[in-house]
Amino acid sequence: MKNYLEIANSGYFYLWGGIILLVIMIQAILFIRLAWKEGTRIGLSSRKMLKGLRAGMVSAILPSIPIVITLITMAGVLGIPFPWIRLSVIGSAPYELLAAGIGAESMGVVKLGGEGYTGLVFANSVWIMTIGAMWSGLMVFFFLKRIKKQYKKIETKDPEWMKIISGAAFFSVVGVFMARPITAGGLPLITVASGFVLMTVCALLIAKLGVGWLKEFALPLSMIGAMICAILFAGTAA
Amino acid sequence: MNSNTLTPNDLFDQSVHRIGRVTILTCIVLALGIPLMVWMAFGILPPSKPLISGIITVSSFMIPVSLAEILSFYPILGPGGVYISYTTGNITNLKVPCAAIGMEAAEVEPATKEGDIISTIAMAGSVIVCELILVLGVILLVPLSGPLENPVLKPAFEQILPALFGALGAYFILKNYKLAIIPVALGLVFSVLNVHTAVAVPVCVLLSILGARVLYKKGLVKAE
Repeated sequence: MKNYLEIANSGYFYLWGGIILLVIMIQAILFIRLAWKEGTRIGLSSRKMLKGLRAGMVSAILPSIPIVITLITMAGVLGIPFPWIRLSVIGSAPYELLAAGIGAESMGVVKLGGEGYTGLVFANSVWIMTIGAMWSGLMVFFFLKRIKKQYKKIETKDPEWMKIISGAAFFSVVGVFMARPITAGGLPLITVASGFVLMTVCALLIAKLGVGWLKEFALPLSMIGAMICAILFAGTAA
Repeated sequence: MNSNTLTPNDLFDQSVHRIGRVTILTCIVLALGIPLMVWMAFGILPPSKPLISGIITVSSFMIPVSLAEILSFYPILGPGGVYISYTTGNITNLKVPCAAIGMEAAEVEPATKEGDIISTIAMAGSVIVCELILVLGVILLVPLSGPLENPVLKPAFEQILPALFGALGAYFILKNYKLAIIPVALGLVFSVLNVHTAVAVPVCVLLSILGARVLYKKGLVKAE
């Protein structure tokens, strides 16, 4: 049997990744087109929709970097194309590593890419990562219409309450992920605090001085600022 | 009255489901192609016992977690956003922030028709950018590992998520601090107890909605 990394890095998989990428891009473009048409119909200006599109794109740049870092980490163990595909389709960094680990463990191998991590173990990781990630997509495929109906009932009965539900759900995601660096202390705490302060400054500039253009760029600017603080603090601590 | 007459709203909803379902199913099938190729093209199939036990382990937590997640994320993402998010993943670290900032920039409210349209556009835009960056990452993998591993720059790259959620946290707390108290407090408790985020997020969503219900009934919070 060939070294499993040779198999993992085979050209077929790159090609397959390209096909999947194409489907994802088509989906994104179809949704933008559909939403744009509907927006025009209900009277949203193109200027507003363009602002929303631009803000979404600009805000995606920095948060994509950790995904590339995970890709680099996983590439050493699982080759390049497979992690690329997994992180592109229904992927999230912590899940993928966990699932790959389960794949290895159920074959009696403790460490990913470690001793005994053969083609067979690799194949086991691949199956388990893929099947584990399928469930959420299948549930959306089968049940989203029904879930939507239930939420629609709430919305029709009390639209104000639906907005609160949405707000509370938004806050929960942010609350859970903001709390981690706070309780971790040290550099993560400094960074999360810097991001908080910088965003507050941006919000004040927008609200008090009317710097409207800042709305689209407040997030990336605060993030870059906080990352610079992390560099400076790591430098002084060292 | 003819109950079969579809309003333009219904037609839009139908198109969302049609595009979403076709593309998500295509991606699921294509993703299955990888393990099948390892099997067919290279003749490697893991022995059935560890394969099945691994599938049972991963499915036993992915099924309940996925269901709780979809229910929690629906009010944030809207139907189009759910299809986009569950096709491409990276929901909390990418889709949720981009949807929020998109709606803020376009000055529309979440959980309204306008908000839904703008957040769908913003999330689709974020997918295009993220996928292109990933492709660049694949092409530049070797040259990239240099700067990403640079000892001076490394702390910045390691702290991207704290930077993201610090900024996003400020944005939300300034927007509606009364609604923020419960989820932020719960987040801290879960973090101290070291509860995995896959469990912490849906539980926090559920408890925060229940808490918000009480505050809302007492007239203490209102939608901004």
